[in-house]
Amino acid sequence: MKRAAPTLAVLVLALLPLLGMEPRVYLTLTVAGLAMGMLIFLVASGLTLIFGLMDVLNFAHGALFSWGAYAGFSAVLLLNRGAGWAESPSVLLNALALLAAVAAAVLVALVLGVILERVIVRPVYGQHMFQILITLGATIVLEELIRIVWGPNDQVMPVPVSFQGSWDVADVIVLRVPVIAIGLGLAVYAGMLLLLHRTRVGLIVRAGVESGEMVQVMGHNIHRYFTGIFALGSALAAVGGLMWAVFRQSVSPAMGGEQLIFAFIVVIIGGLGSVTGSLVGALMVGLSYNYVAFLLPKAALGVNMALMVLVLLIRPTGLFGASR
Amino acid sequence: MSGAPTPVEAARRADRARRWREPTVWLRLAALGLFALVPLVIPSFQATDLAIKIAIFGALVASYDVVIGYTGIVSFGHAMYFGFGAYAVALAVGRFGAPTYGHLLVGFLAGIVVSALVAGLIGAFSLRVKAIFFAMITLAFAEFAGILAVQWSALTGGEDGLSPKLPGVFGIAYDGGRLLGIPVTGKLATYYAVLAVCAIVFLVMARFVASPLGRTLQAIRDNELRAEALGVPTFALQIVSSSFASVVAAIVGGCYLMWVRYVNPESVLGVPVMLDVLLMVIIGGIGTLWGSLIGAAVLLTARLLLPDLRGLAVLLGGSELVQRLTARWLLVFGVLFILVVFFFPKGVLGTARETLRRRRMGVAPEV
Repeated sequence: MKRAAPTLAVLVLALLPLLGMEPRVYLTLTVAGLAMGMLIFLVASGLTLIFGLMDVLNFAHGALFSWGAYAGFSAVLLLNRGAGWAESPSVLLNALALLAAVAAAVLVALVLGVILERVIVRPVYGQHMFQILITLGATIVLEELIRIVWGPNDQVMPVPVSFQGSWDVADVIVLRVPVIAIGLGLAVYAGMLLLLHRTRVGLIVRAGVESGEMVQVMGHNIHRYFTGIFALGSALAAVGGLMWAVFRQSVSPAMGGEQLIFAFIVVIIGGLGSVTGSLVGALMVGLSYNYVAFLLPKAALGVNMALMVLVLLIRPTGLFGASR
Repeated sequence: MSGAPTPVEAARRADRARRWREPTVWLRLAALGLFALVPLVIPSFQATDLAIKIAIFGALVASYDVVIGYTGIVSFGHAMYFGFGAYAVALAVGRFGAPTYGHLLVGFLAGIVVSALVAGLIGAFSLRVKAIFFAMITLAFAEFAGILAVQWSALTGGEDGLSPKLPGVFGIAYDGGRLLGIPVTGKLATYYAVLAVCAIVFLVMARFVASPLGRTLQAIRDNELRAEALGVPTFALQIVSSSFASVVAAIVGGCYLMWVRYVNPESVLGVPVMLDVLLMVIIGGIGTLWGSLIGAAVLLTARLLLPDLRGLAVLLGGSELVQRLTARWLLVFGVLFILVVFFFPKGVLGTARETLRRRRMGVAPEV
């Protein structure tokens, strides 16, 4: 019952705007909100691993987000220029182009993640202040590298033709990209739950967070697992960045900054280290943003902050956080 | 009751006797003298601008150091109070007809009161949550303040900001003739007024952190549980400390407005300002107070000089890649910053102090 309370609160919150608007408008907003929430969840899920589970304040997460977007951008551009995969009407080729983009983003982020963890993060485990500083430095460097490699200006992200446009389901406009994002988000959610709670790796990582020394005594190289988890979190950030770029149809070097704050808010609302928490938190943020943007456009940007402050005042450890 | 002095009293007396023989006192006076001389010796605007901005940001960073270095509260909202001060003065001077000194004073007072209230409220609501959550909550409030300043454009001028006229001798058109052969302008008067305020603020802060209250705050920073067990009202003192620091930040913000004569959300309220302050406090050294001047000097000078690296690339006649590399001076800065954090985690002044202490005690400095 206690575990169900936050979910129930979210449901009530989601139904509340029905009092003030037409059902059709409400449905459109809800679909958009769910999609936005899933996009945010993709970013926040990586942060859940890095910040929530490993307790590393990784401000470079936003930069990895941008790197993922740019890597995918390059992949699609290359395939389109070489073989016209994104412009061809064939759904299969379009899907392949998108898959290639995801693969490129994941690959780049894995490499960057391993380098970051090895070189920059490992010396500062357990020291929040220095984690903030050093990852801020890394953010500056990574963003500048993007500007050097791809140029400083915004660019248009080529989106495969089959994924553009929208479906019209019973007068509710459903954009295609968000549907893909929702599917991807659910897949990531299921995958993370399985990994953390049903596999040996997840067991070791969770135990390693509780007591790293003990796990090492048992004969597991905890550092290697942490590097892996960090890289995995980075890859999730990159996929989130790519999906965001597809959604917005543009890439820019500083695109990660704003998303980073969103992601931190989501992880804090959900409770540190809880995958379910960050999913619920992301959906709350996405939904409330869309509702408020419709009802009171000027208050939209502040609503996430207000939400976080409210949640923390009621439950200082977040919705699904363990009361440590 | 005149017995033998307690150890604390003895130490304090020894401190007082030594006060004027400490080299650091002379160093500080020399720094002040240097600041005072800059506009007289180097008449270029760039140099004066850099000098006074170092003083202003040095004071702002020092006030942040009181919170983060001496009290151990990690706040990401400190720049917000700087913005409050700047906006309060800008509004008071610019929105009520012809500016007078009274308006200026009211502006400063309003900034101080608002900052103290907001800092007290935020502290009372959210200092009880975990440290890193407090950081995020303050970040949220700072972000919100920035949004408010942009959206509430009828009052704040929105993105365009405000550029008020200053009263009397601070006015841009003021001409006080020549004094000892130096033209006395509004800009010069502002320079010295701002410098004086910054110096006073620095003294007050130095006094604050060395006072019994300041010592208690350091005890809270080092071990909150123990301080609480000793009967220290930790929660209340943390609020006092953060309110004090925010008041200082508001005063300094007013000074910033007086010098720049322009304020917009991005230049005083945004996250970038907070990042600058964070970088400066690290470069100078957390918990050193005076290190903040060094941090401000390093960062602001780097800002001014590093873009000139582009000239270097032209000299080398390098390829396009070399040109792109040097055009992005921030990259160089980022790498330097990471190296500083790695190798001088205590900052310039912290490292210097430690080296001196080790040498005095006859221990070889750590390599």
